[in-house]
Amino acid sequence: MPLNILVCIKQVPDPEQFDRITLDPATGSINRAGIPPVTNPVDRHAVEEALRIREASGGTVAVLTMGPPQARKCLEDALAMGADRGVLLCDMAFAGADTLATAAVLAAGIRSAGDFDLVLCGNESVDGATGQVPAQLAEALGWPRVTYARKIEIAKEAATALVEREIEEGFLRVEVRLPAVIAVVKRINRYRLPTIFGILEAGKKEIIEVGCAACECAGLVAEAMGLAGSPTRVAGVFQSHRKRHVEMIGGEPKEAARGLIRKLKEMDAL
Amino acid sequence: MFEFTKEQEMIRAMVREFADTELAPKALELDRKGEFPYELVKKIGALGIIGVASPREYGGSKAGHLPAVIAVEEIARVYPSLAFILEVTQAPLYMLENYGTPEQKQTWLPPIIRGEKIAAVAATEPTGGSDLATLNTTAVADGDGYVLNGRKVYITNGSVGDIVLVLAKTGERASILALEKGTPGFIVSRRQDLMGFKSGDVCELGFSNCRIPKKNVIGKEGGGQAVAMATFTVSRAAVGAVGLGIARGAFEIALKYAKERMLYGKPIAGLQAIQFMLVDMDTEIDAARWLIYHPAACLDRGMLPRDIGKLSARAKYIGGEVAASVTMKAMQVLGGYGVSPEYHLARLLADAVEIFPATGTPQIMKIIQALEIVK
Repeated sequence: MPLNILVCIKQVPDPEQFDRITLDPATGSINRAGIPPVTNPVDRHAVEEALRIREASGGTVAVLTMGPPQARKCLEDALAMGADRGVLLCDMAFAGADTLATAAVLAAGIRSAGDFDLVLCGNESVDGATGQVPAQLAEALGWPRVTYARKIEIAKEAATALVEREIEEGFLRVEVRLPAVIAVVKRINRYRLPTIFGILEAGKKEIIEVGCAACECAGLVAEAMGLAGSPTRVAGVFQSHRKRHVEMIGGEPKEAARGLIRKLKEMDAL
Repeated sequence: MFEFTKEQEMIRAMVREFADTELAPKALELDRKGEFPYELVKKIGALGIIGVASPREYGGSKAGHLPAVIAVEEIARVYPSLAFILEVTQAPLYMLENYGTPEQKQTWLPPIIRGEKIAAVAATEPTGGSDLATLNTTAVADGDGYVLNGRKVYITNGSVGDIVLVLAKTGERASILALEKGTPGFIVSRRQDLMGFKSGDVCELGFSNCRIPKKNVIGKEGGGQAVAMATFTVSRAAVGAVGLGIARGAFEIALKYAKERMLYGKPIAGLQAIQFMLVDMDTEIDAARWLIYHPAACLDRGMLPRDIGKLSARAKYIGGEVAASVTMKAMQVLGGYGVSPEYHLARLLADAVEIFPATGTPQIMKIIQALEIVK
């Protein structure tokens, strides 16, 4: 049975260039100036999974992001991969949101954008890296959730999904009724690159903008959005300086091995 | 100031990611073994890269000549051999698209664009390549076809090609004839060993009484020289783009190395001797970049090959110059590691040198420009 799938994606600073991020010691704010924005890497796997489900059982794939106007770029990239339409949640009222306020706005945006059978997310973003949004989003929607998904099978009648969920030293196989929020990990698939044809077609696809008013229509009060709706306060930001210490243990192999064992014992590592 | 469109930027980003993830891990080994990268040709076909300038009705995306140049550049950054193959394939595509009959286009364009069939153009002969008027290969009319005899050298995609577009004399004037693989009398005499372009396929071809049906003439009989000249004019920007990509690849290697290599307790990127070389490389690349994009952008704006002769000759010339110059400087930044195969610069330099003779030597490129400047 065809499914209407929505994928939540996020624009983040290019993780390949995280070494260029600096902290302002006075304000504690993160300076990411000059670092190009990209789609959160694991979110591309979520888009890929949605496209694969659509290819197998039909339906539609919408992509949604909350962010400033330039976040439209990550929607365009997902449309070039093959998604059908985009939703940009963009309003000054959304600014400064923690994960709870983000999830509340995402849920309102999803409600205002249509009826969906499945919401997919990347398990966590590379910048915030809390991994809280998928679970909070499911709560806000009143839907069940599965996180750390490494495999998704949709049942024939599309009422449930069988999901393999990564845990330490193994995986859990869980069945979840739809609609649900499923957050995926990178190993779930190898995502496709857009084709040139897909890139040219992306410009013809619809991206709708959803602001504060539409979210209010979907039942979210303004006080629950952005900074006002965020109970989390960052108490402080500091830069960690990891120092590495290298000590070469020389000599003949046997002697060096003894030296290494002695050293490890001194460090309580053995 | 010139700006790329959003789609052109997205095409560049896509090809770059493909090059970094799919090509970079394999390029050194494929070049070392001298293996033709069939699978990668199919992959660039599936991504729409081969047919980037081709009409949609035959499976292309018609994104344009500038996106084609961008794609060649991004691939050449890590794997110039594949960039050469892509660039060379643009020539038969251009001939078929612009001069082919609907039947010829329908038969040959879709599989070439998908990367399932390989195409080549055979123009150069042992006596020279740039003097297209003095051809020794002949195609004599005989019944419902032609009988082809002669020799061609330095034919890229020569042995792997499923279709070779041969320039041959048909009477007093030259014509282009499509010769299909397996035609009796079509011989690959030898694969020519070159300094670079190691996983490419450059061959000497022989034709001994090859029968070619009349329907395989591309364009008008006797109009081959004009078709060849227009095609080479168009493809020269892409040859330049191979050089631009090589230069960028070499520069990136040098810059990364200079930031990591410590000397006197500091990275060598802090030394002015190194900085001056990096600045020169960066400047040369940026100067060449716009000369190389220019003829392709002109074609996309509707100009014809005859309008861009000087621009495309200059693009090809500067592409060869910037590739060799920047790669040599990068080697000096890396010192002893510069000539070590695993740092890729030796391979990039060998490939840079291959640009000099492609579609005409630097001196021929200057003659083409001079004809327009002093006319």
